[in-house]
Amino acid sequence: MRKMREKNPTSYELLFGPAHPGSGNFSVRLRIEGERVVSARADPGYLHRGFEKLMEYRNAMQNSVLSDRLCILEPLNWNLIHAEAVDELTQEEIPEKAKYIRVLMVELSRIQSHLIWYGAMSMGLGFDTGFKLAFGYRDYILDLFELITGGRVYPAGYICPGGVRRDLPDSAEGRIRKVMIKMEEMLQRCENFETTTILPRTRGVGTLSLKDAIRLGATGPIIRASGLKTDVRRDDPYEIYPELDFEIPVRREGDAYARCMIRRQELRESINIVKQVLDRMPKEKLKPVKPKLNQKIPEGEVYVRNEIARGEAGIYMKSTGEDKPYRCKIRGPSLLHMIPVLEHLLKGCQIADVPAIYWSLNICPADMDR
Amino acid sequence: MNETELIKKIESEFGIKAEKQRDRRIWVTVKRKRLMKLCRFLYAKNFEHLSAISVTDFPDKKVYELTYHLWSYRDKILITVKTKIPRNKPELESVTPIWGESAQIHERELHELFGVKFNGNPDLSPLFLEDWNKEPPFRKDFNWREYVREEYYDEKNEREKPYFV
Amino acid sequence: MLGTIYELLRNLFKKPMTVRFPHESIEIPNGFRGEHYYDIDKCISCGLCSKICPNRAIEMIEMPERYKEKYPKSYPRIDIGKCCFCGLCEDICPKDALKLTKNFFLSTFDPKSVIKEPIKNDMD
Repeated sequence: MRKMREKNPTSYELLFGPAHPGSGNFSVRLRIEGERVVSARADPGYLHRGFEKLMEYRNAMQNSVLSDRLCILEPLNWNLIHAEAVDELTQEEIPEKAKYIRVLMVELSRIQSHLIWYGAMSMGLGFDTGFKLAFGYRDYILDLFELITGGRVYPAGYICPGGVRRDLPDSAEGRIRKVMIKMEEMLQRCENFETTTILPRTRGVGTLSLKDAIRLGATGPIIRASGLKTDVRRDDPYEIYPELDFEIPVRREGDAYARCMIRRQELRESINIVKQVLDRMPKEKLKPVKPKLNQKIPEGEVYVRNEIARGEAGIYMKSTGEDKPYRCKIRGPSLLHMIPVLEHLLKGCQIADVPAIYWSLNICPADMDR
Repeated sequence: MNETELIKKIESEFGIKAEKQRDRRIWVTVKRKRLMKLCRFLYAKNFEHLSAISVTDFPDKKVYELTYHLWSYRDKILITVKTKIPRNKPELESVTPIWGESAQIHERELHELFGVKFNGNPDLSPLFLEDWNKEPPFRKDFNWREYVREEYYDEKNEREKPYFV
Repeated sequence: MLGTIYELLRNLFKKPMTVRFPHESIEIPNGFRGEHYYDIDKCISCGLCSKICPNRAIEMIEMPERYKEKYPKSYPRIDIGKCCFCGLCEDICPKDALKLTKNFFLSTFDPKSVIKEPIKNDMD
């Protein structure tokens, strides 16, 4: 009797898998009946490199070089959170100009990450021109990274414990201002395209209520789209964020369209922050941090939280007085967005909505597996 | 409610002293049998976001130390709860009835990588590793360099010789 | 709808953003982290570059008989396949003997050119 029931020809299992052009390095198994998804099961682990154990064998400066491979789509944000953890253990005094340079690089990295999200989302929905535009405008920011840190994609631990590895060159400020004008041009283009491309496929799709969002552990733009006004840069501030003036966008609907609008608004706020930092930056010369061997970290334990482009990141570091950390636990936002939130949202939706929901969550497989 | 009031409330209810590390950070250590009671008490005081659960391995003292990091959206305080369990029989009650699926995922990862068994967790299947039948890999006595040398490196290869020193 | 038509008309007469490499190229700034350049006469054999490398790509070796009189100590041999081009070895060298140049054309069909010996010409 069970065999006859299972021979239903419209019920099958689809693997939205690692070699799919519209996904990253992970897979989701979907059980489908007709056009509707009945259940979904996530299958992570394709990029597991064992970071927490790798960091126990290297000292602070080498870990800084390693930390930008945690998620390559936003390398400087992960550099900053690792540097903050070590700085809080050593209680070292960071020069004022170094703090301003750190915030400048982190906001540029956030703009670049949101542009990748826009390109990938457009490609997932079938709008190829948006993909090309987003990656074309992202190149201007990669040229800035090459000028300041020496590499386009991998900044090699530019933000390290004690400050930054090199000072800003003289021509950097003029070039950054020109690039910000181009970013505003890109935002204007996105607004012109909005009603025909993103709006019809994402309105009312994948709704997440506020109670579910807190219970499933969502953070960042996802919980801001469901109605809670929270941001780690305001609630638990670090670096020079208390002195800067920026807004936190909030929406109440909780569907995919609200998440997209919030990320676009965050791009605008990041451009605003970059301009404020350039206006206030002190003009003195900075002494760069050079690597040294056998630099001991004092005993203690610390938990640091930061707001990266995808949500809330955290590092718990425990040290017993040697130059290598004893335990370094890394909390990334994507582990919680991928398994509880995605499986909850995909239940009961149509097949054609699966890319729209998946891309509106902005999951990075690298910081899920670590 | 700010940090000093929270410390007073924990002391009057449980008799243990919490300490304040800096602004917005409180650390407290409990014994294992009172962990669930403290977690329920904190959840009722609006600590509804579980940020992370982590395990530290101390092979010379023969304990595993667990840390739970909780954040309150209303009062903006982060409190860390620490407890110790024996290393040769690591079993503990799960906090999934309190915090839901977000706790379940963290416990699933720790079960696979450290071997800690959480009673009451509905799903403890392997998450990252496939076909792994040796001991849990993140313990301090698992020599991963030895494992990689046996499985993947070849001493006769010119470029891999430095690893066999 | 109107916004899309406006964009379409505006972009019909604009130059595309692509830079046609290798006929045109963008200028590479100073400080770019490319291939290594090693000057053996400045080196004092302290071994710091080998200890700081996060991937163990630098190994200190002794010279063969031909050069042993002029260079008696051990000198670094760099494996470019393992290198991640972070620049820590350049920052830590006390005598500025190891530098990173602007060359990034490093792909090759010949596996022997992946390992860079301390002295340029053939060492057999």
